[in-house]
Amino acid sequence: MTVKFGSDDWAKQFKDEVNKSSAYKSAAKGWKWTVGLVVEAEPDKNFPESRGVVMDLFDGEARDITVGSVADAQKCDFVITAPYTRWKQVSTKELDATKGMLQGKLKLKGDLPTIVRYTKASQEMTECTTRVAVEWPDEA
Amino acid sequence: MHDPGRGRMARRGLETLVEYASPAPSAFAEMLGGLIDANVRANPDKKKDFDALVARVGIWVTDIDEGVTLVFDAGHLTVHNGLEPQRTITIRAEAETVMSLSNLKIGPLGMPVYYDEVGRGVALQLLRGRLKIDGLLSNIATLNRVTRIFSVQ
Repeated sequence: MTVKFGSDDWAKQFKDEVNKSSAYKSAAKGWKWTVGLVVEAEPDKNFPESRGVVMDLFDGEARDITVGSVADAQKCDFVITAPYTRWKQVSTKELDATKGMLQGKLKLKGDLPTIVRYTKASQEMTECTTRVAVEWPDEA
Repeated sequence: MHDPGRGRMARRGLETLVEYASPAPSAFAEMLGGLIDANVRANPDKKKDFDALVARVGIWVTDIDEGVTLVFDAGHLTVHNGLEPQRTITIRAEAETVMSLSNLKIGPLGMPVYYDEVGRGVALQLLRGRLKIDGLLSNIATLNRVTRIFSVQ
């Protein structure tokens, strides 16, 4: 089923994909921090308001993934911020998230050694986003 | 003595361990500088290595065409955008391999572990020529010390 990017249905499918992934489960063993994704508005791409995604991840499991305000996402232990188009590029495998962070296309806030230690988990998390069939607002 | 006004410092209000040569460090420079700063502050063994290391280490990420030069000067690091001359060691690899280097475990006698999954991956990239280290043979001790400082494991 195709879901609208940034909708509650999208968050639910994303969570399901994460919890289906044995690769994520194994790579994220020991992870105990929240992750916030900030999707910055791009009105010309039919994405008029910035949104936040809050991911409650614990020991290889996604306990909850919700879409809410930017402020909620910014309260997380780790925060990754990028404009809508960049997130779309990540979700469609046009942009590798690791390279995106090294290039500053995705801005990361949080303890660097921890996130580097879990590089594999974050790569698998990105893979999970690509498995959700998305209806993009700029293509609607 | 370094000039604190020359570039941005990694942390304020604490002893400055890392600073940036450019007032506009690249994202990659900030990431490596931040990583080393956090590692050294959190781990006394890494701090010992950091205090002893004098070397100019280039890291070039081949799939994003970006790099940095890390100038270690016995307890102080200056991170330059791009490759600067007179490097002791230069590491050239894809982004994923660079991240793997920072995930190498450190084993007995402070040697990086090349027999676990991450280590084998790094060794394979070296054998395939996708990880190139200029200056490796004459600077193995320096490379091991840099790896220990760089490693988050």
